[in-house]
Amino acid sequence: MSTMAVDVHPPVWRRLIGFNLLTGVILGVGGWYVGWFGAHAVVAPSLSFFGDIDFNELSLVLAYLGGVVGFLTGLGFLNYPLARLRGYPSSLREKETQGVGRYFTLCTDHKVVGIQYLWGIGLFFFIGGLNAMLIRTELLRPAHQVFPAGTYLTIVGVHGSMMMGMMTSGILGPFANYLIPLMIGARRMAFPRIEALTFWILMAAGVILQTTIFWGGFPTGWTGYEPLNIEAYQGMDCYILFFALVGISMTLLGINMIVTIVTMRAPGLTWTRLPIFAWGVLSTAILMALAAPVLVCTLSLALFDRVVQTNFFVAAQGGSSYLYENLFWVFGHPEVYILALPGFAIVLEMLPVFARKPLWGYRLAVAGLLGVSLLSWFVWQHHIFVSGINGDLRPFYMLSTELISIPTGFTFICGMMTLWRGNIRYTTPMLFCLAWFFNFLLGGLSGVFLSDVPSDVTTHGSFFSMAHFHYTIMGGLVFTFFAAIYYWVPKMTGIQLSERLGKIHFWWMFLAFNSTFAPLFAIGFLGQPRRAVTYAKSLQFLNDWVSVSAFALGLSLLFFLATFVYQLAFVKKPAEANPWASRSIEFQLPSPVPVHNFDRIPVFSSDPYGYGEGPAPSWTPAGAPAGRD
Amino acid sequence: MAEPLASPGTGYEVLENEPPELMGRGLRVGTYLFAGGTAFFFLCFLFAFFYLRSLDNAGMWKPKGVDASIPWGTVIVALYVASALFVRLGLADHVAGRHREWRQKGVVALALGLAGLVVQAIGWSHQGFGPADGGFASVYFGWTAFLFLFVFGTMYWLETVFATSLRYRNTLTGQPAPGEASGDPDRTAHDIQDPLSLVRPGLEALSFYWTFLAGIAVLAWVLLYLV
Repeated sequence: MSTMAVDVHPPVWRRLIGFNLLTGVILGVGGWYVGWFGAHAVVAPSLSFFGDIDFNELSLVLAYLGGVVGFLTGLGFLNYPLARLRGYPSSLREKETQGVGRYFTLCTDHKVVGIQYLWGIGLFFFIGGLNAMLIRTELLRPAHQVFPAGTYLTIVGVHGSMMMGMMTSGILGPFANYLIPLMIGARRMAFPRIEALTFWILMAAGVILQTTIFWGGFPTGWTGYEPLNIEAYQGMDCYILFFALVGISMTLLGINMIVTIVTMRAPGLTWTRLPIFAWGVLSTAILMALAAPVLVCTLSLALFDRVVQTNFFVAAQGGSSYLYENLFWVFGHPEVYILALPGFAIVLEMLPVFARKPLWGYRLAVAGLLGVSLLSWFVWQHHIFVSGINGDLRPFYMLSTELISIPTGFTFICGMMTLWRGNIRYTTPMLFCLAWFFNFLLGGLSGVFLSDVPSDVTTHGSFFSMAHFHYTIMGGLVFTFFAAIYYWVPKMTGIQLSERLGKIHFWWMFLAFNSTFAPLFAIGFLGQPRRAVTYAKSLQFLNDWVSVSAFALGLSLLFFLATFVYQLAFVKKPAEANPWASRSIEFQLPSPVPVHNFDRIPVFSSDPYGYGEGPAPSWTPAGAPAGRD
Repeated sequence: MAEPLASPGTGYEVLENEPPELMGRGLRVGTYLFAGGTAFFFLCFLFAFFYLRSLDNAGMWKPKGVDASIPWGTVIVALYVASALFVRLGLADHVAGRHREWRQKGVVALALGLAGLVVQAIGWSHQGFGPADGGFASVYFGWTAFLFLFVFGTMYWLETVFATSLRYRNTLTGQPAPGEASGDPDRTAHDIQDPLSLVRPGLEALSFYWTFLAGIAVLAWVLLYLV
């Protein structure tokens, strides 16, 4: 008999009392007001020796921090630290409930956290997408028509920040949290509470960003550039807090992933047998653990400038806005690969399954992933080619940026060679993977124009660069995100998704995506700058084409959402344990996976890509008593 | 037919009694990585220091009268370093089985670290310049403020390790009541077999991190007070 299972079902009102999302929201609102009034009543007098403090800014910042603390307290995140403070020993798990309720509270089951991430990230991705629709609505006409310029900039900023901030965890959040312990033969993540914390911090961050509209918004786009940053309304504080919280979440998520993969692999799972998805997660997690702290620090300095009047980024007072630009992109370019690398890994993980061939060049693929991860640290100044950097530095950063195409090319080679003479099955996940080749190739090739100084001088800050990064991020990350959904959600939920509806979604999205973003290259070459609410009349036809295509793209995502919810909530077609005939270990488990993952810790004897090389590997039970790793 | 890897019927009891070595290993590796993240965090201040110093925009890097007090800085860093040293010595005692001596050194380390934080807070108000007084002042207040936060967190960590040692000082079998720290009074078994044995790896990880952080404090002292 399970010691943790809850057999009795108390009434709903009773289940609402305790540490859960409802309590978190109530305490979050309370914490917000405590922070707001506490800043004026207590903090302001005690910091008077500092002199020039903007107490309105300080109050807002402390209000949001109070809100976050209250929210996490309500969810139960302070219970364990307080118990430890009183000397109680370490433990791994919180009291866990069954049923739907566990998705609305602190849960230390990695599979629950993965599904929480899937819906949480999905919600904010949906909001970010709605912002994109508003942007394209405004750009239907060359002159102002719907929003004032400031509001338009805020919408652009929220869209960019939401997508770049939340989607950093778009793959690692739902899929790595859920799958990595299964793929490496473990029963949990290394730090289960931290795993849960990363999710709930991210949700708090997303809400904070949305509230920027009540404080005047922010004009800087997702980069938060100085000196615009320090001159902006209080809505800028929401952006800063949002991204700083995202940075904290990313750091903790990255560390947790690395520790899990390094220390918790089951016997026999050597580095050369590790699934390529796990390598991709590891490469990404290294960037997260090291780059995200730079983001947190940089944004904290920006906050200091705004609140306690430091001068890190104020040139007239001994600072420099270039300091911000440099520090931001030290994080910002690895960030691009934090978004891209999991997509590489998903494609390489799925191709052998649907081509029925072993992964070609496993070690080359790993070298490619790690190579991108390493080189991404040495390219950041190509983002500030036209910002007045020392001209002598340009050739180095141009070269280093172009160099990164080599390890990226490894992924392409390994993917293409895996497909070569394969027995390809055009399933929905496979179609999304194949689309990645097309999209990312266009994104990568257009990136060459932005890494070369002469062409970057012309295209920088135009719609050309916007088309480029949408091809790499949406074409690279979001398409593989959907591949992952169609591939792994049957395992995660035990419910099979319709292939027919999935293929309709794919073709609709693929065509609308390319129809939306390909013309932006032309619009950029013709001189339309980013983040401008008006444009030349001669560009209206192209812009209208893009807007209509964008609406079609939005509708394709709505179609997905509607069919996805419909199938999960109403159709509920049971999924086979191994619907894709995969040799990977997660597909050898029941669907959905039991809470303990494995009855006994498995022993690995090969990698999971030996298609056409004899029978599937067996994971001989170690023979150790249940419960021992 | 191979034995199935898992069956839906099995419950949470499979998760109980995990050997503590696994968590201990995770603690160590996690701490190394966290130290790496911490290094990248403080690298921003190092970069800002040299970057703004070399630019000296508007001659405002370090205006006249903006000099951090060396005595204050020395006392603060000395307290941090001494605290880290006592944790190291305490770890040596723990490894040698001298648990009473470890606890004595642990409480001294905690007191020294907290004293360092108090002196830092007082020191800020006695510097004779504020955060708005140029580039150096910004770096000074930013760096020391974040160092303060990180040290505060480390003191929390030290307190938890110390408190567990103290609470179970007379427990020989290493079996406190199951679920004591998990908030689950119904739990009948530990999810970590012998959770008290984690005090050692916890202390090792803490000692490494606190020494690392003290190293950053020494670097800050050299740059912010001496250069």
